[in-house]
Amino acid sequence: MKVIKTILITLACITTVATSAKVFSADDIIWARYGDIDTLDPHRSTSTLSMQVWNQIYEPLLARDSEGNIGPNLAKSYSVSGDGLTVSFALNDNIKCHDGSEFTSKDVIFTYERAFSTSNPSNTKSAWGPIKDVKANGELAVEFTFNTPFGAFIPFMADPFASMICDSNEKLGKSYGTTAAVGTGAWKLDNWVKGDKIELSRNDSYINLGRLADNKGAPKMKRLIIKVMPEGQARLAALQTGEVHIAEPPLESVDAVKSNPKLDLFIADNTGQDVFFEFAISRPPFNDIRARQAVAYAIDPDMALDIVFEGLVSREYCTVAQGVMGNDPDFCKSVGYKYNPEKAKELLAELGYSVSKRLEVNMMTWTGGNREKLLQVFQSQLKQVGIDAKIEVMDIGSLNARVKQENNITEGPGSFDLMGWSWYDPDILYQLWHSPGAYEGYNTPELDALLDKTRSTTDPKKRLAVVQQVQKYLIEQAVHVPLYTPGWMWLYGINKNTTGLKFEPFNQPIFLDVTIK
Amino acid sequence: MTNYLVNRLFGALLTVWVTTLAVCFLIHLVPGDPVQIMYAQSATTTPEQLDLIRHNLGLDRSIIHQYIIYMSNLLNGDFGTTIRGQQPVLDLILLRLPYTLWLTITALIISLIIGGVAGFFAAYKQGQWLDRLLMSSTIIGISIPPFWLGLMLLAFFSVNLGWFPVAGDGWLSLILPATTLAACQAATIGRIVRSTMIDIFDQDYIRTAYAKGLSKPRVLGRHALRSGMVPIISILGMQFAYMMGGAIVVEYIFSWNGLGRLAIQAIFQRDYPLIQGFILTFSIIVVLVSVLMDVLYASLDPRISRK
Repeated sequence: MKVIKTILITLACITTVATSAKVFSADDIIWARYGDIDTLDPHRSTSTLSMQVWNQIYEPLLARDSEGNIGPNLAKSYSVSGDGLTVSFALNDNIKCHDGSEFTSKDVIFTYERAFSTSNPSNTKSAWGPIKDVKANGELAVEFTFNTPFGAFIPFMADPFASMICDSNEKLGKSYGTTAAVGTGAWKLDNWVKGDKIELSRNDSYINLGRLADNKGAPKMKRLIIKVMPEGQARLAALQTGEVHIAEPPLESVDAVKSNPKLDLFIADNTGQDVFFEFAISRPPFNDIRARQAVAYAIDPDMALDIVFEGLVSREYCTVAQGVMGNDPDFCKSVGYKYNPEKAKELLAELGYSVSKRLEVNMMTWTGGNREKLLQVFQSQLKQVGIDAKIEVMDIGSLNARVKQENNITEGPGSFDLMGWSWYDPDILYQLWHSPGAYEGYNTPELDALLDKTRSTTDPKKRLAVVQQVQKYLIEQAVHVPLYTPGWMWLYGINKNTTGLKFEPFNQPIFLDVTIK
Repeated sequence: MTNYLVNRLFGALLTVWVTTLAVCFLIHLVPGDPVQIMYAQSATTTPEQLDLIRHNLGLDRSIIHQYIIYMSNLLNGDFGTTIRGQQPVLDLILLRLPYTLWLTITALIISLIIGGVAGFFAAYKQGQWLDRLLMSSTIIGISIPPFWLGLMLLAFFSVNLGWFPVAGDGWLSLILPATTLAACQAATIGRIVRSTMIDIFDQDYIRTAYAKGLSKPRVLGRHALRSGMVPIISILGMQFAYMMGGAIVVEYIFSWNGLGRLAIQAIFQRDYPLIQGFILTFSIIVVLVSVLMDVLYASLDPRISRK
């Protein structure tokens, strides 16, 4: 009897699926990506896939123009006190959350308190800085006070990680972030079919107060459907048939997109992504600067990037990416290491290695984006100077944990990794390299002191000077060897019938102006 | 028959119980601390906070204690929450399960039809050109990797001809993935049907049926085909299990929102609670289907349950 019941239930489920198929309408924008968001809650993930969706549903207090300058958004203005310890925002009025409630200073405070909750803090809590207190000055003004000045706070307020979460989400309880999300953004959440698609519909009461779009009101199209299509060739096929309007083509098929008269290829720049080599310094050989320098001298990134990406990425010389404050290629190039295999061999010889007594190490990276191929090119370059590097590729989550582990192991073969971070401000260097550091890797008291100064200096010019000192230090010590930008999800195949797609800095697509013929 | 049923059900429960043991201890066998993975990018999480999170997940208790908690949660329908995104595991699995079942059952039906017809005619024309043609195509069917076949079908039927959508969740979107999944199994079924049929054609009772003056379609349809179905049913359970496994690749290519794709994602992200939930669900289904097939087999062939 039980068996029969199970069969009946299963059949019922199957019929439900079979009849639930829906055809998208002509008013929909369909955007296909390789993976799904982790959550609708901006405090519970750091993935680019998630951020790009939050940025449709929520709004930060500030926003960036195409040059990366920070301007108003939910906040119509902000001011920083002379000592840098107080930052005040004046909010725009008449902003409505998706549930119809007014967006006020209460919502700002709700967002902040949520990010700092002791039992379940935001994954990006540290980016808020050393906040002492937040208080409302009436309905439409908020004041943040800091223990020490914090220069990266204003840029953070323009980032999707600092999306403002309406306090009405509190009522949603556990369903917030999984089945429901209330923001103030241009698109409202209709439905998230996990692993498959996110269905958003136009927020008719939306007012564009700072987003990068000509449209000052609600989006032109009715719905935005963000679909998951893991296989690259399938995404390309769907672009060709017109089933989707925007999708990331597989790297090996970029030429097919370029030569297709129905498709456009868009390459997002200023993504904030910096891909670099870093080393486990807890043990030989990379606890010795000469071993790190040997790697930096042995590789020829220009050649490797050319082979693997054919001009689709650009060489990065700095430890912060293009479009981020402090990125000055000439300066960084002047302090960096240039391809010089002879020099690499000399350094290795000093350490007791030679072409016959080879240095054996592990070289890790995370899946996708042709990074494995890139490492293979580097592998052969390293081989020529006497370094045998074994390649290991894993998911980004595992790599993050693994790098941390490697930095705490004192025995075994040396380890270094191709890592990628995307951040909107040089404060990334603080998070990576100030002790203990995101990966508990390299740190010194001098570096800590310099990094502290990058946080406490609020005057942009003075801060820039400190940032350059930090970069010089990191590059010269061969701790952070910059390689290229952008590194992930930066290619967009766009159907020619789709116009108006715009990109805010840091790879954030904006759909306000999009129309489909 | 009742004894047989009780025995089989007991065996099934035992299998599921052993799976829960394996699944619960899996988390301790793999390298890397899931909590560290979870907060790896968060520089400010203190060791105390990590300990608190570990405590909330029950990871700081003894293994036996953990297993008891795990089982009592399972029996209450709580499969835990995912590490990435903190979603309830059971909800995710139940949402995806119908898609995978729908895909595999459709593929099973397709493979039965294609394999049955091909095997039957190959046996009927044994040694002739049709037999050779059909049997050599089964070799192709078995050898083609599903990911390649899937992409080829996609390129031809979706992009060139425009007959089927590339992705989606309707009936039309089901045809290509189900065919891809069915190809290999159809070939296997075809070969089994052929050899069974060849044996049956030689049996005395078939000769008797002809001798009674029955027409060819009646002999083949009523007498040969019916008894030929019994061995097929015995392998259907295995075939279904294979297909559930094969669905992982096919779902990935055709953006089919099933359990297999969820599993790939969970494995890449080292999302242990989700991997545990997936393995458990998968094994329960496979066990359930094989019990079902055994019972069906026994009721078709009474000799089985008496053994």
